[in-house]
Amino acid sequence: MSGSIDATLRARTGPMTRELVLHPADFGLAQVPARLNPAGTAHSVCGYCSTGCSLKVHLDERGEALNLSANPDYPVNLGMACPKGWEALTPLRAPDRATTPLLRNDRGELEPVDWDRALHVFCGRFKEIQAKHGAASVAFLSTGQIMTEEMAFLGALAKFGMGMKHGDGNTRQCMATAVAAYKESLGFDAPPYTYADFEESDVIVLWGSNLCIAHPILWQRVMNNRHSPAIVVVDPRATETAQAATQHVALRPKSDLTLLYGLAHLLIARGAVNRDYIDAHTTGFEAFALFARDFTPERVVTETGLAPATLEKLAATIARGQRVSFWWTMGVNQGHEATRTAQAIINLALMTGNIGRPGTGANSITGQCNAMGSRLYSSTTNLLGGHDYANAAHRGKISRALGVPEEKIPRENSLAYDQILDGIADGAIRGLWIVATNTAHSWINRGRARDLLAQLDFLVVQDMYATTDTAQAADLVLPAAGWGEKEGTFINSERRFGLTTKVARAPGQALSDFRIFQLVAHYWGCGEMFAKWSSPEAAFQLMKACTRGQPCDITGIRDYAHLEAAGGIQWPWTEADEVGAAVPSRPGLAADLADRPENQDGSASRPHLNPLQQRRLFADGRFFTSDGRARFVFEAPRPPPEPPDAEFPFMLLTGRGTSSQWHTQTRTAKSDVLRKLYPAHVYAELHPDDADRLGIAAGDALVIRSRRGAITAAAFVTATIQPGQVFLPMHYAETNLLTHWSVDPYSRQPAYKAAAVAVSRAKA
Amino acid sequence: MVAPRQNSTLALIDELLAEQGRLQTPVARFASAHDSGSISSLAARHSSLIPFTTPRPGEQYAFEVELDSCTGCKSCVSACHSLNGLDDGETWRDTGLLVGGDARHPFTQTITTACHHCADPACLNGCPVLAYEKDPVTGIVRHLDDQCIGCSYCVLKCPYDVPKYNARLGIVRKCDMCHGRLAAGEAPACAQACPTQAIRIVTVPVRVNGSIHADTSAFLPGAPDPAYTQPTTRYMTKRGLPPDTAAADSGALRPQPPHWPLVVMLTLLPLAVGCQAVAALPLSRPALLGAPLPVVATGAGVLGLAASVFHLGQPLRAWRIFLGWRKSWLSREALVFAVWLTFSAATLVRQSFAPVAAIAGIAGLFCSAMVYIDTRRSFWRLTQIIPRFFGTALVFGLAGVAPLGGAIMLVAKLAWESHVFRSAGDRASARLLRGPLRRIAGARYLFGITAALLLAVRAANHTSPVGMTLFALLFLALGELMERYLFFRAVDAPKMPGLPAGPVDHGAHHA
Repeated sequence: MSGSIDATLRARTGPMTRELVLHPADFGLAQVPARLNPAGTAHSVCGYCSTGCSLKVHLDERGEALNLSANPDYPVNLGMACPKGWEALTPLRAPDRATTPLLRNDRGELEPVDWDRALHVFCGRFKEIQAKHGAASVAFLSTGQIMTEEMAFLGALAKFGMGMKHGDGNTRQCMATAVAAYKESLGFDAPPYTYADFEESDVIVLWGSNLCIAHPILWQRVMNNRHSPAIVVVDPRATETAQAATQHVALRPKSDLTLLYGLAHLLIARGAVNRDYIDAHTTGFEAFALFARDFTPERVVTETGLAPATLEKLAATIARGQRVSFWWTMGVNQGHEATRTAQAIINLALMTGNIGRPGTGANSITGQCNAMGSRLYSSTTNLLGGHDYANAAHRGKISRALGVPEEKIPRENSLAYDQILDGIADGAIRGLWIVATNTAHSWINRGRARDLLAQLDFLVVQDMYATTDTAQAADLVLPAAGWGEKEGTFINSERRFGLTTKVARAPGQALSDFRIFQLVAHYWGCGEMFAKWSSPEAAFQLMKACTRGQPCDITGIRDYAHLEAAGGIQWPWTEADEVGAAVPSRPGLAADLADRPENQDGSASRPHLNPLQQRRLFADGRFFTSDGRARFVFEAPRPPPEPPDAEFPFMLLTGRGTSSQWHTQTRTAKSDVLRKLYPAHVYAELHPDDADRLGIAAGDALVIRSRRGAITAAAFVTATIQPGQVFLPMHYAETNLLTHWSVDPYSRQPAYKAAAVAVSRAKA
Repeated sequence: MVAPRQNSTLALIDELLAEQGRLQTPVARFASAHDSGSISSLAARHSSLIPFTTPRPGEQYAFEVELDSCTGCKSCVSACHSLNGLDDGETWRDTGLLVGGDARHPFTQTITTACHHCADPACLNGCPVLAYEKDPVTGIVRHLDDQCIGCSYCVLKCPYDVPKYNARLGIVRKCDMCHGRLAAGEAPACAQACPTQAIRIVTVPVRVNGSIHADTSAFLPGAPDPAYTQPTTRYMTKRGLPPDTAAADSGALRPQPPHWPLVVMLTLLPLAVGCQAVAALPLSRPALLGAPLPVVATGAGVLGLAASVFHLGQPLRAWRIFLGWRKSWLSREALVFAVWLTFSAATLVRQSFAPVAAIAGIAGLFCSAMVYIDTRRSFWRLTQIIPRFFGTALVFGLAGVAPLGGAIMLVAKLAWESHVFRSAGDRASARLLRGPLRRIAGARYLFGITAALLLAVRAANHTSPVGMTLFALLFLALGELMERYLFFRAVDAPKMPGLPAGPVDHGAHHA
């Protein structure tokens, strides 16, 4: 065929071809399709998990988001993002966004109303309940998913403005244990690490953490480690991370505390403890050493189900390590003795001197994008800025910082999430305001949680979607703008404040949570008290003032522009630090110039910026306790609250399914791309031996029963789960119909990962 | 006092709503000010993911996946989607899961898979309009979006489920290895987005002594046999794969799309060819329900070919369909049926064209069969398709002139079809027919047997009313339509390993 005929017959170009042709773009983006060529970009920290990746949002000339890619110049994610991040804009365009306030009418249906009516009803009903049952009968449940400024506003508004006493957040479900453990052991809720520690360790111990799936961008940092580290995963399941590790310690579920004390015993017996460090910087070691003597290898092997060699190898690995870092996530936090387990990890780090140096630490990896913000600024169980409600000096300080009358600040701590729900049962809580969380799906034994919500006199749900299980139970739904439709800061796992940017218009009448709080303050009649809260950035300045002199002092962060220019800023960053420039002026503040990514490849193109991008705590061994010493905290292990028995012989484990699913999927299920990346139906991991015994083949429909309910799931027969156990991903609505409502007594965090169930093949 | 407050309150709502709707334009943003300096830092990363030089003769670019580094984050899929500006829900890369090992050493491995840019691409070989090209230098298999007629034949041809139909455009699209990025020294979207650098582009040999020969030893268990198209993707592992490794969805039942226009076409064209061929026999005025067979044949042929047009996403481009005649059975089918239709219509004027038309029809039907045989799917093998397609033709052809012959033919055809339940190679198809497709499958046999009985009664009793023939033909036609429907739906379509599937509908046999 000659060329001209070929050209006639074969359309090598045309409108469809041009749709996908790539063109070089500006803004460091390299090639993008022409129709998505941006007029500019904006950086925004992702709104899913606590890793805190920066996304580079591509904007059209009107400032609206066209697309996004991972930001290559941010010290957290180094140009990477997980699928949720890549798809972060998609859930904003979902057709089921709440676009007007919705009020339940006489026929029991949610009916659109305008904001004026919604707010009149909101204030009228809550005030009516408070008048009848006392101010404390109205409570709120908040979230780790909104901006720090919004959390601070909500806490201040609800407690100081509206007179509520009780409020908690869904961070109770993920991080409360780390908070309780750090506070008691180290004197403040202070995760000590920076992500560069993943790259500096020679031993990385991941305890109850499926990092590859839950925090894939942090696994990148493990892979960047050039010291050929030993990677130990302690997890009952052979997770993706366990299979990628160099050692997998597949202990019996909920035997963690015994194993940790047993390791302490072995390290002491080997003389692998750092006496100098213990003597100089801790208290309580002698009592702990005495206590740990009972945890002989024989006992540990019996109770954990581990082979003696596995235990021995784990102890030897930790003993040999020069820079051992311990990282934990929900496998620890969501347990019946979670706080003591986390503290037992902290004990190991303290006794071996593995804290405060590069590549070390007892490091809690957070769950939600702003769980860390919630921990310090939500005014739920802490008073704003990590303060204590019961401390008069603290109340006075916050009163002055915010210009709020001191008597408006409650003198005692709030009830925890589970206690607020129990309060509904006994009539103490009559009205509830739920913001950006899906209690009716996510709470443990959700069937009961749903029933309790139905008992409320008045339930307000503020959410992006009116379709969540919880919104569907509401009397009033307030339509909220989502991530990308508002601005503010998140704090990531390594204490880094990062900025999120408004790059999209909210649909209909939806307003940012911050603006909804402004409206509520106005309608409630306490607008004057919050006159200074005029914008998120103004609120940020108020928050700064609240942290002065605290371990989490951020008075050195000037404003949002400073955060943007510095690539996020880890707390603490005090005025003195800011003035003192590059050299850290505070005790307890480690800095390492070599950790700065732009100095590693010599391609630095930006001016020298303060503060340094990778900073960790406790370099000087001084902790935030009154005497500056860390505490060894310990307690005898207890059996889990619902052990398997003859009727319910399996232990049900729950956890994250894939990196493309988030929590109850209110957002991730809105993306067709993400939906392709996980199984559409709930599935249960079951060991081949159990499957054979029960006559179950791969793909069969199973019935899984607990004392709370029964569900159907597809069998995924795999030896990644141990015999006698069954695993369900937490994202599916079915899972929490089975879980057992029990909490750790110190953190009051629910124990999602241990319930007794029975498994059988579904009848056809 | 109340009224002014009310006004100020409403003004506040308006103000906040207005504020909510305001965005900063890019020009006003401080964010974009220092934003152009990052290409160099990216370039360093890219250079480790792509080859330094273009392939030499006999070589081509290929994806290389380091399995040991892939821990299942699946960013590659969404990065490809975003950076290539694909439509909502459109993905050119997929992920799946391999499972294996034993009770003591469990093994799972996420796999990432896109177009394998095969050395001998089945999509390209099957395309009737030459909408695929294999780049002579890079070996990248590119799809010409403005050439594509949206027939989706490549979807059937590709054993890896790579080309994806885009309903908005009415064409298929697929991975082009980000050839534009490669040309500019950038890594493909998937490779640059992998946090553990598990995907890279390498150069692989694809010709030995001038003939196509890719090294497919580094392909995957649980994937279709690489001998067919010689995929070039290499899946590397140092720790190895356990011997019994299989796809996590290997037991999943996946009914395939019915392709209704093709169901209609592939029922009407055999009917037409059958009637036309019988009309070519020296019989006196053969007719069906009173209509002369040549008329019935030509009419059915016109309708059948018209139906096929509804299968195309871009029918206005279909005039190019002859271009692929050298390799594509679909091109040949179209060409031969065009000839057949011409001669068949000519027989309406001059009966002497009938033998030529009959030969053309048989050839056309053979091409139709080859279209599916050439996809190398077990259920669509020659020994199933030829009896099915020609069986339909014969039953329809005989129904009017020799009903008993038609009845016997139909019973034989039904018996032959049921072979699928006994053949080892058809296990998945049999499970589909017994499971999710069981109602239609049952109906197909019921209608077929009823039609055969009615034809037999008609043959025994010449005085039976026309209504009897009408009913016989109705049941026959519905039965054959169902058979063609099941032909598409029950085929075991090959694909790369996927995710664990939902509960399997095993059908009634568990009861």
